[in-house]
Amino acid sequence: MTSSNVQFTPPPSPPSPTASFFDVSDEEEDEYNTIAHAAAKKGVRLLFSKSKVYVHPTPSAKDNIPGFIALVQQKPLPSSQNATSSSANASKPDLSSYLLAWVPESALGDAYDTYVKVDLSEDDSPPRQKYLVPALPETTTFKDPIGLYSFAVPLSQIYSLLVRPPSLGWWFGSLVINSRAGDSFPALFFHDSECQSTILQKRKRTRETFDPFDEDGSVFWGGDEVLRWLRKYVDVQRSTVDKTVYLINPSQEDQLSFGKPQLAESTRSQSPPAPRKREPAPHDAGMDPFMKAIKETRWKVLEQLSKITTFTRRTANEIADNPSIPPQVRRLIKTPEIQTLQEEFDSARIYLARWAMSISEQSERERNQRIWTARDALEMENSSVGDFEILDSEMGNMSLQERRKTVTLKEWQGFFHPHTGRLQLTVDEVKERIFHGGLDPNDGVRKEAWLFLLEVYPWDSTNDDRQALMNSRRDEYIRLKGAWWERMVEGDSTPEQQEWWKEQRNRIEKDVHRTDRTIPLFAGEDIPHPDPDSPFADVGTNVHLEQMKDMLLTYNEYNPDLGYVQGMSDLLAPIYAVMQDDAVAFWAFVSFMSRMERNFLRDQSGMRSQLLTLDHLVQLMDPQLYLHLQSADSTNFFFFFRMLLVWYKREFEWVDILRLWETLWTDYLTSNFHLFIALAILEKHRDVIMDHLKQFDEVLKYINELSNTMDLVPILTRAESLFHRFGRQVEAIDKKNNFPAPQAQQRKPAQSQGPDPNDKGKSPERPSGSSTSVSTPNASSSSRPGQGGKSDTKIIAPELRDLFRKDVFWNENDQSANPGSNSGSGS
Amino acid sequence: MASRKKVMLKVIILGDSGVGKTSLMNQYVNKKFSGSYKATIGADFLTKEVLVDDRLIWDTAGQERFQSLGVAFYRGADCCVLVYDVNNSKSFEALDSWRDEFLIQASPRDPESFPFVVIGNKIDMEESKRMISSKRAMTFCQSKGNIPYFETSAKEAVNVEQAFEVIARSALAQEEAEEYGGDYTDPINIHDTTERDGCAC
Repeated sequence: MTSSNVQFTPPPSPPSPTASFFDVSDEEEDEYNTIAHAAAKKGVRLLFSKSKVYVHPTPSAKDNIPGFIALVQQKPLPSSQNATSSSANASKPDLSSYLLAWVPESALGDAYDTYVKVDLSEDDSPPRQKYLVPALPETTTFKDPIGLYSFAVPLSQIYSLLVRPPSLGWWFGSLVINSRAGDSFPALFFHDSECQSTILQKRKRTRETFDPFDEDGSVFWGGDEVLRWLRKYVDVQRSTVDKTVYLINPSQEDQLSFGKPQLAESTRSQSPPAPRKREPAPHDAGMDPFMKAIKETRWKVLEQLSKITTFTRRTANEIADNPSIPPQVRRLIKTPEIQTLQEEFDSARIYLARWAMSISEQSERERNQRIWTARDALEMENSSVGDFEILDSEMGNMSLQERRKTVTLKEWQGFFHPHTGRLQLTVDEVKERIFHGGLDPNDGVRKEAWLFLLEVYPWDSTNDDRQALMNSRRDEYIRLKGAWWERMVEGDSTPEQQEWWKEQRNRIEKDVHRTDRTIPLFAGEDIPHPDPDSPFADVGTNVHLEQMKDMLLTYNEYNPDLGYVQGMSDLLAPIYAVMQDDAVAFWAFVSFMSRMERNFLRDQSGMRSQLLTLDHLVQLMDPQLYLHLQSADSTNFFFFFRMLLVWYKREFEWVDILRLWETLWTDYLTSNFHLFIALAILEKHRDVIMDHLKQFDEVLKYINELSNTMDLVPILTRAESLFHRFGRQVEAIDKKNNFPAPQAQQRKPAQSQGPDPNDKGKSPERPSGSSTSVSTPNASSSSRPGQGGKSDTKIIAPELRDLFRKDVFWNENDQSANPGSNSGSGS
Repeated sequence: MASRKKVMLKVIILGDSGVGKTSLMNQYVNKKFSGSYKATIGADFLTKEVLVDDRLIWDTAGQERFQSLGVAFYRGADCCVLVYDVNNSKSFEALDSWRDEFLIQASPRDPESFPFVVIGNKIDMEESKRMISSKRAMTFCQSKGNIPYFETSAKEAVNVEQAFEVIARSALAQEEAEEYGGDYTDPINIHDTTERDGCAC
C-alpha cells in the first residue's frame, strides 16, 4: 500500500491566486457552463466528493492510484440558482450537466483542498457554498486503460453501476460504472479505512444508532454515499436479478429484464442515508467484487457470445436483432468494443482469471497486514468484518507469527558455545527456527548458517574443526582449479577431451554472462575480457563473473561425468553472492549439487522421478484436479520442469530465492519439501486451471507465466499445511487398510537407473486414462497406484512414502565421497 | 477446443545454446532486444497476435541435456525454426541433428513435408568473425528440401519480421494441411515463393 498522501498530496499551501478562485463562491456562474470555458480555467461546481477512492491498475498494490470520486455540476440549472440544497425540486434536471467523476489526487493540484473540504462537509446535501474546481474532461467511453484513468461521466450516460460492498473476501468495497455505450470504467475501490469522511460518518452513525449496521445488516461504506448522492438526481433501481447491479434511470425494458425493482426503492431524494444492500454475506468471500461482477454479468454474456462466433457475423447480427434476447445483451453485442472483446475471449478469460486471483491474493495480504495494526484501531469496533478476520487469523497463522521471526546473526551465534563453538541446541531445533523464520537477509548470518545447512560444516563441529576444514578445502579448491588451468595452457589431452572441454568452457561463459545480471554484484562490465576471442570481449566483464566461470569450470573438472549443465549457474549465483569467497562458495555449491545432481542427469531420470512423485502427490491430495490435468494431457507435469530443476530460481525474486532455499535445505519436514511447494502453487491456481485450461500448451503457458508473480511466504505456509494434510491422509489410508504399509515401502527409489520393470504390476487399478500419459515412458514410472478416486484398496506409492524421509536418500552412493562415480549414467 | 475461432500456430525454435533463440523470439514479439536474457531451461514461449492468427512461439533450451523433454513440448507444432549463429560453425553443424531430433520427437504426420525454416543469426557482428557464408548455408538448406533460409540480427532487428512472416505462412499452411488430414496442399509452393524473399541477403 502506498502511503499515498505523502506522495501525492500537495502541501496545505496558503491559497494561491488560482486556489482562491476555485474556492470562493462564484458570482459568474454563467461562465463556467461549458467545457470550452473549463479549458479557459473556469471551474465546475463540486457537489460531493469522497477521498481515498483508488483505481487498481495492476494486481500490485504498489500501482494503486488514490483519488476522489466526485459528483460535479457542469452547468447550473436554472431552477437551482437559489435553492442549492434541494436539488430534488428540479423536476427535470438536465442530467448531462451532472458528471460522476474520478480524479487521481496527483492531478488535482491546488484543487485538492477544495475536494477535501467538500468531502468533509457534513451535510447530506451539497454544500451551500459553491465550490468550484477545474472542469474534468467529459468521457462517455473508456478507451485508455494505461493513461491517467481520470474520467467524468454525465449521469445521462450511465447505464448502471456494479456495486460491491466490502465483504469478508474483499477488504475494499468497489464500484464500476457501466455506460450506456456499453463501456465499463475502471473499478473504483473505496479504501474506507483511509477515508476521513467515511470514518467520521461511520462513527456518527454508531453514535446515533449504536449500530454500525443498517436495518438489513450491512456495514456502512463509502459506496453508500455515492448511491445517496445519485439518488438526489436520478432514479436508482437495484436489480432484483443481480443484486450488485444498480440501474440508473432504467427504461421500461431494462426494468423488465432486470426484474422489478425492490420495494419502493425508486425514490429520488430524501431517502435517509441508509444503505440498501444485504449483499456481503460471508459466503460471498473469496473473490474480488469487480471480477465477480464481471464474471457474473459480462462473462455470462460473453460465454454465450463465444458460441455464436462459430457462425458468421451475419448470424450473430440476426441474433442481435432477435427480440427474445434480453435487450441488454443485444445492446452489448452491437457495441464494437464487445465485438473485439469477445474475439479476445480466449486469452482474456485466462488473463482475467489470473488477475482476479492475484488481486484476491493481494487483498489477503493486505488483510493480514491490517489485522495487526487494526486490532487496536478504533474503527475496528465499527466493523463486523474486523471481528471475523481476527477470528480467522487466530485460527490460521497467528500461532505461526512468533515462529516466523527471522533468525538474526545474534540469535544464531547464541546457538553455539561461546568458547568451543559447538552447537548447544539440537539440530532439529535450529532447523525448525530457520524453516519457519528464515535467516536475516542483512546481517550476514547466512554466510555462516548456509555452510551448516549445506553440510559443508558438520553440525557437531567446533570452531577449530571448522577452521581446519576450511583451510584444507581452500587448498583443495586451488588444486582443482589448477588442474583445468593447466589443461587450458598446455593442452595435454586427447583431441576429444580438448574439444569437450572447450565446448563446456564456451557454455559456461555464455551462461555466466546471462545469469542474474540484474543483481548489482553481477551487473558490472568494468574489466576487459581476459580472452579477446570471447564473444563477450566487446562488452567486458567483472571480477565476480570471472569467479563464477572459474568455479563452474572447477566443478566441471571436479565432477567430469556430469560436467556443467545449464541451470547450474543459476544454482551457484546466490551461493556465491552470499559467500563472496570463491573457495567457500565452491564447496557450498558442491554440497548443494550433491542433492541437485539428479536434476541434471543426461537421461533425465532424476527429473522424471520427481515429476512422477508430484503426479502421485496430486492424485492423492487433489484427485479432481488430477483428473482435469489428465483430460488436459498434462499429467507429465512438465510445466514444473523448470521449477524443480533450479528450485524455483526463475519463479521468485532474488531475495525470496535465498529465503526459499534455506528453508528447503533444512529438510525439516521432508527432504522433498520442494514438491510441496509445487503442490502449493498448483493448489493455489487450481480453480483457474480447472475452469480455463484445457490443453497441455495452455497449462504450460499459464504456469510459465506465473514467474515473478507469486508471493513466497503464503506459498511456504500453504506448502507446510499441505505436508501435514498429506501426513494425515496417508495415516488415514493406512488405518483403513488395516495393515501398516505395502512391502514396497522400503524399496529404494530408482535412482538414475532408468526403467525398473519390477515395478509393474504393483498398480492394481490405475485410473482409467492415466496410461495415456507419455511423460514417463522410461523411468520407474509405470507403477501408478490408483489413489485417483476409487475407495477400495488404496495403496500409498513408495514414492509418496519417501516424502516422509528427511535424508537426501537419492544420492546415497553418489559422488560426495567419490566424485562423479554415479552420474550421467544414462548416456 | 472445438470452438476455437482463431488459428493458433505453434512454432518451435531450436538451436544450440546461445545462438539467439530467445532474442529472436523477443525481437519478433516485443520488438525489443536485451543483451541479458537468461539461459532458457525447459521451454519458454511468447505469443504474438497477428491479424489473422495467433502465433505461439516456443523457445526451447539449447543444451542437448534438455532434449528429452521434447515430446511434450514439440507435439502439435506447425513449424520448426532452426537457428544457428553465423559466427559459430559448430552451431551450424548442429542444425542437422536439431532437425532430426525434432522429427523424432514431434513425429509429424508427414516428416518429408513438415515446414522448417533456417535462420542464421547475429549478422551484426563484424565480418571477420563470420564463420558460415550465406552460400554454404543456402546450399545446406537446398539439400534439405529447399528449406527457406534467412539471415537476421535479433539485436538490430534485421530481417526478423520477414523471417517470421514466412514462418507464419508455412505454419498456417501446415495447420491447414493437418486439418484436412491426408488431403495435402502442396507446401512446396510456399517454399518456392518464399525462397526468393528469404535470400535477399
